[in-house]
Amino acid sequence: MTERVESLYGIDEESKAIWVFLGQIGGNLEPVSLELLTHGRQLADQAGWTLVGLLLGHEVGHLTEQAIAHGADEVWLADHPLLEEYTIDTYGRVVFDAIMEGKPSAFIAGATPNGRDLLGRLAVRLRAGLTADCTDLKLVTETGILISEVTGFGGGVLALIEAPTHRPQMATVRPGVFPLSEADASRKGRIIDFQVLLSEDMLKTEVVETVVGAGVDLTQAEMLVIGGRGIEGDFEMLRELADALGGDIGATRPPVDDGFIKRERQIGQTGVVCRPKVAIVCGVSGAFHFAVGIQDAETVIAINTDPEAPMFEFADYCIVGDAAQIVPALTHALTLEKVPSV
Amino acid sequence: MSDLKIVVCMKVVPKPEEVGVDKETMRLDRENARSEMNPTDMNALEMALDFKDRYGGSIDVVSMGPPFFSHFLPVGLAMGANHIYLLSDRDFGGADTLATTYTLALGIRKIGDVDLIFCGEESSDGATGQVPPGIAEWLDINQITMVNRLDYDTEREMVRGQREIPGGHQIVDTPLPVVISVATASNEPRFMDYRLKSWAFEDERITVWNVDDLKADPGYVGEPGSPTIVSGLEQAPSRERRMEFIDGTPDEIALRLAGILEDRM
Amino acid sequence: MSDNVIDEAEVPANEIELLEPASEPEAVVLDDELWEQLIELTGGAAAPCFQCGVCTAICPWGTVRQEPISVRKLMRRAQLGLFNENEGLWLCTACAQCEPYCPRGVPIVEVFRGLRYLAWERRQALEGLPSVLWSVYWNNNPWFQPPSQRTAWVENGQLPDFDPTQHEILLYVGCTSSYDRRAQNVARSVVKLLNAAGVKYGVLGESEPCCGEAVLSMGHGPYFEEVAAKATAVFQERGVKKIVTISPHCFDVFRNHYGGLSETVEVYHYTQLLAELVESGQLEFGISPGLKATFQDPCFLGRGNNEYEAPRKVLAAIPSIDLVEMEHTGIDSLCCGGGGGRMWMETEAGERFSDLRVQEAIDVGAQVVVTACPSCIACLEDSVKASGHKELLVLDVAELAILSQESVPAEMADD
Repeated sequence: MTERVESLYGIDEESKAIWVFLGQIGGNLEPVSLELLTHGRQLADQAGWTLVGLLLGHEVGHLTEQAIAHGADEVWLADHPLLEEYTIDTYGRVVFDAIMEGKPSAFIAGATPNGRDLLGRLAVRLRAGLTADCTDLKLVTETGILISEVTGFGGGVLALIEAPTHRPQMATVRPGVFPLSEADASRKGRIIDFQVLLSEDMLKTEVVETVVGAGVDLTQAEMLVIGGRGIEGDFEMLRELADALGGDIGATRPPVDDGFIKRERQIGQTGVVCRPKVAIVCGVSGAFHFAVGIQDAETVIAINTDPEAPMFEFADYCIVGDAAQIVPALTHALTLEKVPSV
Repeated sequence: MSDLKIVVCMKVVPKPEEVGVDKETMRLDRENARSEMNPTDMNALEMALDFKDRYGGSIDVVSMGPPFFSHFLPVGLAMGANHIYLLSDRDFGGADTLATTYTLALGIRKIGDVDLIFCGEESSDGATGQVPPGIAEWLDINQITMVNRLDYDTEREMVRGQREIPGGHQIVDTPLPVVISVATASNEPRFMDYRLKSWAFEDERITVWNVDDLKADPGYVGEPGSPTIVSGLEQAPSRERRMEFIDGTPDEIALRLAGILEDRM
Repeated sequence: MSDNVIDEAEVPANEIELLEPASEPEAVVLDDELWEQLIELTGGAAAPCFQCGVCTAICPWGTVRQEPISVRKLMRRAQLGLFNENEGLWLCTACAQCEPYCPRGVPIVEVFRGLRYLAWERRQALEGLPSVLWSVYWNNNPWFQPPSQRTAWVENGQLPDFDPTQHEILLYVGCTSSYDRRAQNVARSVVKLLNAAGVKYGVLGESEPCCGEAVLSMGHGPYFEEVAAKATAVFQERGVKKIVTISPHCFDVFRNHYGGLSETVEVYHYTQLLAELVESGQLEFGISPGLKATFQDPCFLGRGNNEYEAPRKVLAAIPSIDLVEMEHTGIDSLCCGGGGGRMWMETEAGERFSDLRVQEAIDVGAQVVVTACPSCIACLEDSVKASGHKELLVLDVAELAILSQESVPAEMADD
């Protein structure tokens, strides 16, 4: 019987380092990993700690430079054919071994499906504390305690959470909460080859296929541009904006009725109920049966020529104006302002 | 017909919009909040029921929480689950995900020989999404998270899950036993079958297990079993729509909106 | 009843064909258990049907579709104990236009509800409808809205909390008027009129129970009974003796589907109360908007409860309202399309009864279609916008009455 659960290693054994799990997509580091390096750099500088990136994959050595350019002092690289695709079996094993070898004080990852899949499991294996989908991370320099800000209850409550006695201090961080620094190609860092022993028989899960960008699934869209009667069928214009935002387009009932767009894109009580981060609602007057379909959107931007449109009551940002003028201007502004790619 | 043994983990949560922070005590004020089944756990139960409808088997609902959960959990029976286990003990209080997953895993182990464990992707109160992989680790079995569709190849005894990933999906195969975390809104939970309803809400339908029943290590449950502590609480900015009007020329408005959007992309 | 209807009442050709056993091969397989269950669920209501097909001919779906709903065929199936998934089952708007013409007096809508319940038991309810029942279960409203926001529509503070020692009347606001932004305006108008007439009324606020009309109309009888029992208990606990509802849907279920409630509690639609107030001189209207108006009889007020006069009395009391009747009126009034749970199901463009209704209103030269039901308002306003006749107003009786006092323009929304 135990008095209190203990992590596999404690504060006395930790190395003063923040480790960032570097997820990669299609031969690039995923943006949230770079955001974590940027923020991790600030925390490490403030406390005089080391910032380490942990990179797993197959033939991904070139990505170490990108990690260093964004702030890593060291990159631990585990390169193996069986690490080409994420599976909990291989990644779980390798990341666990690396953590037990490096014993970092903190281990953080993006709150992506894979990041959460991985850390949720590793935290139990390590008997460590884990905070999830954090919206901020602070490091108390004197104590070395990582403080995570998380939201609960549908975003209504903010909580600060720490794991003062267990190591590593683990967190997954919501993509997009930290800004991305410019890459600094002159930065120097160490690359540590982390040798792994993996064999096929360790693989219990098999990734059969990965499909990105097929089919219409508005319930999953994070950015949605929605057109109503007021846009007079100009969904091309909305599509351009949606593309600039990496999002998708939806509609209210009238344009669907008029045949401008398919019924599968109808949002509302009798259509799709969606929960995007942002809904940009153009030329929609705002009947209740539509509003139900976007009530869970985090942010709603409404554009309508009628200042009395009920839609504005459901919006965070209200623009009285013609979508035919504002939407193209916005698309233009977003295309211009796009941060040059890393 | 195979004899699959299925467990669904479910939780009762306060209605999110009714929970606040008491400004004086800085504690959560959930006393007066109405409760409901965690919405995503309803998706998990629906996926399990659909799985059972197609491949046979039985479904047990497992929940960890205070005794009042027993007023809500029978909903699961009325939807078609066979039995409910409520893991309830004062010593389970104050559990974070490490202690919670330990406790749930003990309950599942006590049920025994479980083939599939369905969990909601996350709860609306804690929103950690860590419970499903945590349970899988304690039980040392496979996991597929963020699943929106699940099939079973009876010959190979493998499940095939479709995972939601940013901008698309991934198909993953894995043998049983397995923990499945079910993506929010991936199905429409069936309504209760009223031929089962009054049976479902009879008291004796629920088996309650405490620390001793589970032979739990007291250092691994509740507060002692939880590495994390909450050191601060705040009411988040109001969720009411801001209704802020933005004026200007189309270009000025576009620039302002671009700034707002970039903060949220 | 117009001659027109009698002509159409002849069994159409395709119907006759369906009477032949050959075109219903499954008719040879009878399931006794199902037969008994169907008899039970429908209370044997379909038994007297002798398959004349008048119902099919009268059903308004025949006016918007090539193939009407074969009401007759569904009745036959109910008699024989045959059941299969049938789109027509979910199309019925419960308008009951068929019932007055049924020579055998079959309560056709009730048979539909029974058949729908069978679909629930077989997990064949339409997609989206289980979520509505869950919303009633968890949120106490069928609109997926937070129960804590039920009174958010109330302007400037509070309405009197119902107290039987002070209030003669419980104003039952209902879910749609509590949450739907457009219908909230109706609720606010009713409140203003009651205040102006000095009526002593109270509301139940956040503890107002959902009446369960959505549940009933979607055919889930057993769950409806549970909702009704809970609501009845609340009314009894609070000492309610007289209920005035805003929606005819709530009015109808309280009056006709709440078992014993109507024995101890008087139930009125608010237009009935206004008509009384007008008659007794407690309510008067001043400024005139001077409009040519026509009245859309809500199905659950008119055909459902034989109340055609009260709203017209109120309209007659408003100065310079020129009331004209549309082609289909009174017992032949055309449904807006929003009953029978159809507010939660999509109706394809070109199949909306409200489009026809708006055309009827335009044909008689009306400037405003007046109605007394939140569903009618939602459907008619959609159709007005789609028709391009934006000059045609859609107002509730209470809104028009308020307009005659304040000249406040009504808010309209189309999407």
